[in-house]
Amino acid sequence: MTGPQTRVVRFAVNGRPVQVTTEVRTLVSDLLRHDLELTGTHVGCEHGACGACTVLVDGAPMRSCLMLAPQVDGRDVRTVEGLAVGGDLDALQEAFRSEHGLQCGFCTPGILMTLTGEREAGRTVEDALAALPGHLCRCTGYVNVRAAVRRAWSQLEGS
Amino acid sequence: MSDAMSRPGTLVGQRVLRVNDGKLLTGAGTFVDDLHLPGTLHAVVLRSPIAHGRLVAFDAAEALTMPGVVDVLAPEEARDATRPLRCVWLMPGQGQVDYPVVPRVVRHVGQALGVLLATSVAAAEDGAERVRMEFEELPCVVDVEAALGDAAPQLDPGCPGNVAVDLPRGDPPDAVEAAIARADHVVAMRFAIQRLAGSPLEARGVVASWSPATGELTMWSSTQVPHHARDHLAGALGLALDRVRVVAPDVGGGFGPKDHLYADEVLVCLAAMRARVPVKWIEDRREAFTATVHGREQIHEARLAFDDDGRFVALHSDVLADLGAHPSNVGAGPAFVATGMLEGPYRFDSSGGRVRGVLTNKTPAGAYRGFGMQQAAWVRERLVDEAARTLGADPAELRRRNMIRADELPYTTHTHQNYDSGDYAAALERATELVGEGLPAAPDDGRRRGVGLCSYVEFTGLGPSAVQEIVGFALGGYETAVVRVEPDGRATVLTGVSPHGQGLETSLAQLAADALGLPITDVRVVHGDTATAPYSAAGTIASRSMTVGGGAVVRAAGRLRVKILDLAGHLLEAAPGDLEIIQGVVQVRGSPTAAVPLRTVAEKAWLAWGLPPGMAPGLEEKDLHDPQDISYSYATHAAAVAVDLATGRIEIERYVVVHDCGVIVNPMIVDGQTHGGVAQGIGNALLETLVYDDVGQPRIATFHDYVLPGTGEVPDMVVEHTQTPSPFIPGGMKGMGEGGTIAPAAAIGNALANAVPEIAHLVTETPMTPARVWGWLDAAGVATDW
Amino acid sequence: MKPPPFRYHDPRTVEEALGLLAEHGDEARLLAGGQSLVPLLNLRRVRPRVLIDLNRVEGLDGVDAGAGVVRTGALARAVGVERAPAVASALPVLPEALLHVAYPQVRTRTTIGGNVAHADPAAELPAVLAAVGGDVRLRSAGGQRTLGWSAFFSGRHRTACRPDEMVVAVDFPVAEGFAYTFSELTPKLGSFAIVGACVGLSRSGDEVTGARIALCGVADTPVRLQAAEQRLTGGAVDAAALEDVRALVAGAIDPPGDLHAPGGYRSHVAGVLVVRGLRRLWGAPA
Repeated sequence: MTGPQTRVVRFAVNGRPVQVTTEVRTLVSDLLRHDLELTGTHVGCEHGACGACTVLVDGAPMRSCLMLAPQVDGRDVRTVEGLAVGGDLDALQEAFRSEHGLQCGFCTPGILMTLTGEREAGRTVEDALAALPGHLCRCTGYVNVRAAVRRAWSQLEGS
Repeated sequence: MSDAMSRPGTLVGQRVLRVNDGKLLTGAGTFVDDLHLPGTLHAVVLRSPIAHGRLVAFDAAEALTMPGVVDVLAPEEARDATRPLRCVWLMPGQGQVDYPVVPRVVRHVGQALGVLLATSVAAAEDGAERVRMEFEELPCVVDVEAALGDAAPQLDPGCPGNVAVDLPRGDPPDAVEAAIARADHVVAMRFAIQRLAGSPLEARGVVASWSPATGELTMWSSTQVPHHARDHLAGALGLALDRVRVVAPDVGGGFGPKDHLYADEVLVCLAAMRARVPVKWIEDRREAFTATVHGREQIHEARLAFDDDGRFVALHSDVLADLGAHPSNVGAGPAFVATGMLEGPYRFDSSGGRVRGVLTNKTPAGAYRGFGMQQAAWVRERLVDEAARTLGADPAELRRRNMIRADELPYTTHTHQNYDSGDYAAALERATELVGEGLPAAPDDGRRRGVGLCSYVEFTGLGPSAVQEIVGFALGGYETAVVRVEPDGRATVLTGVSPHGQGLETSLAQLAADALGLPITDVRVVHGDTATAPYSAAGTIASRSMTVGGGAVVRAAGRLRVKILDLAGHLLEAAPGDLEIIQGVVQVRGSPTAAVPLRTVAEKAWLAWGLPPGMAPGLEEKDLHDPQDISYSYATHAAAVAVDLATGRIEIERYVVVHDCGVIVNPMIVDGQTHGGVAQGIGNALLETLVYDDVGQPRIATFHDYVLPGTGEVPDMVVEHTQTPSPFIPGGMKGMGEGGTIAPAAAIGNALANAVPEIAHLVTETPMTPARVWGWLDAAGVATDW
Repeated sequence: MKPPPFRYHDPRTVEEALGLLAEHGDEARLLAGGQSLVPLLNLRRVRPRVLIDLNRVEGLDGVDAGAGVVRTGALARAVGVERAPAVASALPVLPEALLHVAYPQVRTRTTIGGNVAHADPAAELPAVLAAVGGDVRLRSAGGQRTLGWSAFFSGRHRTACRPDEMVVAVDFPVAEGFAYTFSELTPKLGSFAIVGACVGLSRSGDEVTGARIALCGVADTPVRLQAAEQRLTGGAVDAAALEDVRALVAGAIDPPGDLHAPGGYRSHVAGVLVVRGLRRLWGAPA
């Protein structure tokens, strides 16, 4: 059933085409988490301040709690579930593990998506560090998050 | 200690990467909102929009006609079906000892009154907007000092004058006053510590499921304390404990506020029992600011008395603790601890305090990381610096002069803290040294610069139970571990503590792996489910999981090791004392060919074939560890700051922590906990504050209003450790989860006062926002025009 | 925190969007980047009956930095403007100010038109627009008009944009010889400004030939400080001038207090930021 308050939304999630019929007011964070059961994207404030829900939309990091479901129709959405290809942690995830860049892990998926966007856009380590204020973490004090960013970028430059 | 238990391991002390990071890094963690049980209904908790008043009408008829709305649990219905929640920490003479799940008279904005269920969260919110509640409003009081006034509205008949608790601490008041009168100098200051929100990034939430067939209620909850929550849930609903199961799945941070069962969680469970389908409630962020307990808010009228030669004579603080609407589970506990730990690492001829816990029409105040010790450090360490200023003395030297020396430990304070072990002055020396290192020559940018210190001793490892009994904190102070070598030679550790970011899945495994001679990958820590975890009265609170919980693992694994060696000795025809376990193989020391895999030993044990006479089957040991005594960690923090005299903005240019938490099991985790604690301490010092208006309405609804530190506000820091083992904890650990949070406000405040001595007497309140600091600069005539 | 129900339209053309506006009038809200509006929806502080999502409207995302003006389409994303080399060379204060707008993950969605139309008193772009003397281009089904910034911003979250109109472009004029700087004081990095200042100077040797000073966070709308500008023009940026400017700033504004800072503090900091901006632009110690 579709009407002015309901839509069929077709888009790609981590490269996989999906189709969901949902209310137009459904937030993309909820669309991912509850309609598609991709629960790796977390929700910490629902007003754009904490960054836990950050995903990539057509390659750019965005707050999924500030987007409505119809807005991702036809778009390419990527979430934390799409990072570890074949089950192995990617270099960024490995850097976070090696540097103890996470504790409770609730904010981590959002941070990883921001940084994935920065890396794929060829941005510098300074750019990546400058994107971190867009995330709240209550556990790590950011020290090891920054260390993980430096490690990941130095590996990128070294490779 | 047996040989097995004292044997140096290969993993304790190592930077072992965390075993559970993989799932968290791939989005495969399971937090409570990640559960999708078939048929789940979504709850909105109906809450009081006013600060004080009697609910006189409740009408959900229109809400029930809304699309998707399924049921409304009305206040009257909820009240009839529940029993009050008990306050857990009761002070002598406490005027209110429990609180109703649903009150007749609301006492704060956000107090839970009922639950609405619908097929989606959005539909539930639509419905909740149509529930009509009418109140007969009562005058309210939001300021703790106003609450003591004659004209203040009275919130609870058991608390005349709104005073729920009033008790002396430490030496008798006469003795403290006499000591103060004898001293050459007294510094007297009034300190105000703001109200904070612990703000784990995952707010609270539960999924409740009732099985009518078995009469069993299961609650998945974002909690630090699954057993504690179960006990109180069963009590509130009148269910047998064996019919209630609480599961803490992955939990997105706690920091204290998730240390007990909340009334709204009871309501959601009750709604699920009525609906007979699973019900999910996820606290939203705006809701969290009024529904989850706050922390910190206290006023201290404090005095430090000292002699011309710098010797501390006496210390006293008269504390007003703003308890909010009713005593929370821990009530005036934070003020009790604030006065109990006020003396810190120093000697005094006399010391004491007074604690008054006062009711106001705000969200109840409860546990938050640092629990009274942050306030104690702020008050004491600011007084110490002002004493130094009075004497023209170096603050570090004054501290050194009065610090309890290593050779004076163990040492009993005036509030009966039995400090155990350490070298407090060594931490002070090293921090003082480190803060100066690497500081670039100050640029001539017009800012003032200063350095500040904060030394503290930290009460950790809540227990022993006998101490809990003395102080009226109705939580057993022990922990239980079950360590089992499974028939395949791998080990399982069952623990009652309930990690939510602290990495206990790894550090407890390190303890067991060392004792059992296993690689870390062969040990799995199981926790968080009351159906499988051993009973834990207190859970993961109060920096106790590694001391009390870890001590249990050390002892259980140590005993299991003895049994393994006995059985392996029997199989190898060797003396158990000649055996060692290396990477899962039991072998004769120095003769690796005489060996048997642990797996073979385990198979034999669980088959119970060919056991030595008298040996019981299986390889499993359980230990109930009620610690011999409290363990006291300590540290000195040092901050170097630059202060903009035109804007009042403080920048932290260097931050140093020199810390001792006994034996360090995993230095990576300990550093990480310290960083995170300091970050929260920086929020406390510079940014965060919960504000109410005159009629008890919160002015905070978002993270734009409530300013948490981000990466821009928390600098990289230097963290060093010394390791003085706890004499009381098997394994020698002391607690450390809260430590980082305790000192930053005092270290930064002292640095500010050092940079701008003209305002030193004014540096008494947190957060030290630019606007507040500028106000001090302006008042002292040192603010610059640009 | 979920949005209240609304009817949703996502037109593909400006004309279609204007038609919907004409039909629904003030029952409708336009959704651009959504970084301010969606939080308000989630908090249910706004409840439009109709939401007109402009994100699929073609032709509104252009960024053109030529001929004495940086013209940004209403739907141009902040991050695109901030990283456009042509903008950086024509009007570097624009990317400088945009870097203060929330966070990179927000600026990927933030639009120039949406930011300006939201008219937040603390927002940076309106102050820049005021400093450079910019214009806002509006269209309705009935026609189009251009409003100067001072006519456009009419109050706290209020503009002169009629219910049937929408912002289609924002013009930031590039005045020959002017250099600008933007600075702000925030509770934390990336959060809303307590006060922000956009300061511009043109000079001939040791003489100021033109000054432009605008503030955000001190009133319901951005404020241009003409008295201070006049005081500076024709002289040097010396200590006497700065002292006068500071007094003129304080005299021109009467900011309200809020959670983060009292009004008096805002007023003082406005002076600090303006003076520091002038000194930065002037270069020599004053």
